[in-house]
Amino acid sequence: MPAMDEQPLEANDKWLDAYNDRVASLYTFTQCMTLSDIQADGDYKLIIADLGTGSYDMKLKVYKNTNLMSEHTIIDLPTGVVTFYMDTLEPRTPAIAVASGPYIYVYKNLRPYFKFTLPPLDIHPVEQDLWDQAKMDQVNPLVMRETLENLRMEGSVLTVRSLRMLQLDASDLDPFVQVHKASALKRQTVITCLGTLKKSLADDDAISCLVLGTENKAIYILDPEAFTVLATMELPSVPVFLSVNGLFDVEYRIVTSCRNGCVYTLKRGASEGVVKHCIELKSQPVGMERINKNIYVGTMDQMLHCFTAKGKKLWTVKMPSTIMTLEAIDFKPKGFKAVAVALANRQVQLYKEKYLVDVIHTEDVVTGLRFGRFAREEGTMVMTTKSGSLFVKILKRSAKFEERDLAAGPPSAQNVKLNVPKKTKLFVDQTLRERENAVSMHRTFQRDLYLLRLNVAREYAKALDNSMNPISSDPTEPLKLSAQIQGIGPTFKLTVNLQNTSLTQASSNLFITFEFDDRLYSFRKKFIQVPMLVPGLNYIFDTFIDCQNDKGVSDNVKVFVLKQGKSVPLITGVISMPVAETVIMS
Amino acid sequence: MGFFDTLAQWLGVKKREVNVLVVGLDNSGKTTIINHFKPHDSKNHDIVPTVGFNVERFTSKALAFTAFDMSGQGRYRNLWEHYYRECHGVIFVIDSSDKLRMVVAKDELDLLLQHSDLKNRRIPILFFANKMDLRESVSSVKCSSLMGLDQIRDKPWHICASNAVTGEGLSEGVDWLTDQIKDLIESKKK
Repeated sequence: MPAMDEQPLEANDKWLDAYNDRVASLYTFTQCMTLSDIQADGDYKLIIADLGTGSYDMKLKVYKNTNLMSEHTIIDLPTGVVTFYMDTLEPRTPAIAVASGPYIYVYKNLRPYFKFTLPPLDIHPVEQDLWDQAKMDQVNPLVMRETLENLRMEGSVLTVRSLRMLQLDASDLDPFVQVHKASALKRQTVITCLGTLKKSLADDDAISCLVLGTENKAIYILDPEAFTVLATMELPSVPVFLSVNGLFDVEYRIVTSCRNGCVYTLKRGASEGVVKHCIELKSQPVGMERINKNIYVGTMDQMLHCFTAKGKKLWTVKMPSTIMTLEAIDFKPKGFKAVAVALANRQVQLYKEKYLVDVIHTEDVVTGLRFGRFAREEGTMVMTTKSGSLFVKILKRSAKFEERDLAAGPPSAQNVKLNVPKKTKLFVDQTLRERENAVSMHRTFQRDLYLLRLNVAREYAKALDNSMNPISSDPTEPLKLSAQIQGIGPTFKLTVNLQNTSLTQASSNLFITFEFDDRLYSFRKKFIQVPMLVPGLNYIFDTFIDCQNDKGVSDNVKVFVLKQGKSVPLITGVISMPVAETVIMS
Repeated sequence: MGFFDTLAQWLGVKKREVNVLVVGLDNSGKTTIINHFKPHDSKNHDIVPTVGFNVERFTSKALAFTAFDMSGQGRYRNLWEHYYRECHGVIFVIDSSDKLRMVVAKDELDLLLQHSDLKNRRIPILFFANKMDLRESVSSVKCSSLMGLDQIRDKPWHICASNAVTGEGLSEGVDWLTDQIKDLIESKKK
């Protein structure tokens, strides 16, 4: 059993660890894996085209349950594996098609059955001519190479043989030409991706055509019985991923993402190279899947995009790490459809729509991912990793995927559209008025602003003239006054704080007096003589005030600080008196 | 139970009736096992995947069994729990050649053991590690460790390797189950 302890619980409560093989030494990708009932016994097999070391030892491996059932050597690197029904014979055993180089190898009942070769392409006449001359030893290999090099520089596409010749050293040229000149010159393309398309019936076991994308920017549809090309479609770029649905005889759509970073949609009858829809991606695609009518594309910039069939972008989700591969999950017993994204941070994340519904933690970076029926279990996820291990996980019967977003992100309320009311007639009228009278409105506003400033300045000047503020403006007597009322009445205590704010100069000959309504208040001290004020110190003076009225009225009281021989007060403080409580004992 | 029934039982003429539940994954051989215990003339010759469940009766040396042969297919497995309450014993059939789905069988067993109708009852569970004749099959010991049977502490259990097609190992298992259920009923009477 693997190290399950470090996995969070949520990863465990949905998937069962069915099988781990860390020494499977599989070097493969999603396109080279498939699950199919190739023996028609209800026991689905796992078919993997193994890339071996990447240059030799390529194998087609078939797993039955946890055992390797059969192995076939493949000559060239495989680029895709599919299974398809090619006849209506009983038992209904599908054939395996392996795309490799310019060939498709078809296996039936796990035996080699047929090899399809892509139609050869036209050879540049000059190149053909050169090799024809070489055959008769009429051309110097060095001259030949120079001509070929020039051809290549002009942008013509050469055959593999000529390209190989261009790579050789001068000394190796002659032997190379001698070895190869006798055989016929052929230009062949290479299959880049492989898919299937049901021919005329939509049944699960209906006969399917093979759909191949090739390096010469074309898509071919092959007849499954005669292995002839039924349709050819040209593309602006080399297709990398294919997604096919529909029926060949009725109507079909081929969605293909290409090496130029675009996703094209091809329809039945689009053989004249008419590409109907094109989605331009900002980055190179690393995986493409279709669920219902939406196209999910994972790109190299760690983004998962979702588009409608018509190419309108629905949403984009940023992945926490680089995307390795994508796989569509369609779990029919529960009607659960999602897309599984394998990431470079050793996670496989499941997205239902744009919501992350599950995270599977793996021991290694997953490079190949297939979900489907394996053995007799319907919800099986088969994963191959970078280091060549094979993992099989089975979806629990009790697993429930909640549609809430596991990842922290903006709250869902943010996506709710606000019910913005329609523009009223009043609003429209106002807008029109503002648009028409913009200049005069601005002028009115400016005039009012100036008037306001003027009034403020006037009031300020007046306050300065009358010393109505509690900080002295007289530079010779810099004083600060603050006064508080304490008590709840009818007797209050008025405290006056006086501070000389100058640094050096002392003030003397000052008095404090008050202005009040004598029908309301009576001051016990109406006149306070202030001693000399030392700079910086705070002097406190107080007096008691008796409120004469019990009707609950109050008034302002003014505190003046006066200097002997001056009629205008130095500073004035205005105190708003609180309402006095009535006397309880009287 | 009437007087005559009691008397008949005491005399050993009529056997006590008990219910057993037969569960396990699809294609593990539940129906084939039950088929083996049926009298020769009512045996089925071709076994097809069970839909829903079948009720079959057979007798062992001391008890008359009513077996609820449940379907093991994923979509019918939620029916199992409705029969937990009235069963006296469980027969859990494991396909010992299906290593891939051993975890699924374990998961289903865990769900069964955790169910409120069985959790606090000491009902005996008989495991058949079926298809022992197949080359890929694992031994009953390996099977019990894969299924985590050693974790079951509050219920009597027994595992035996079996081959439902030939009937190998089946009667051994049912004899054990009979003894267990009899003991259980005896202890309840006291």
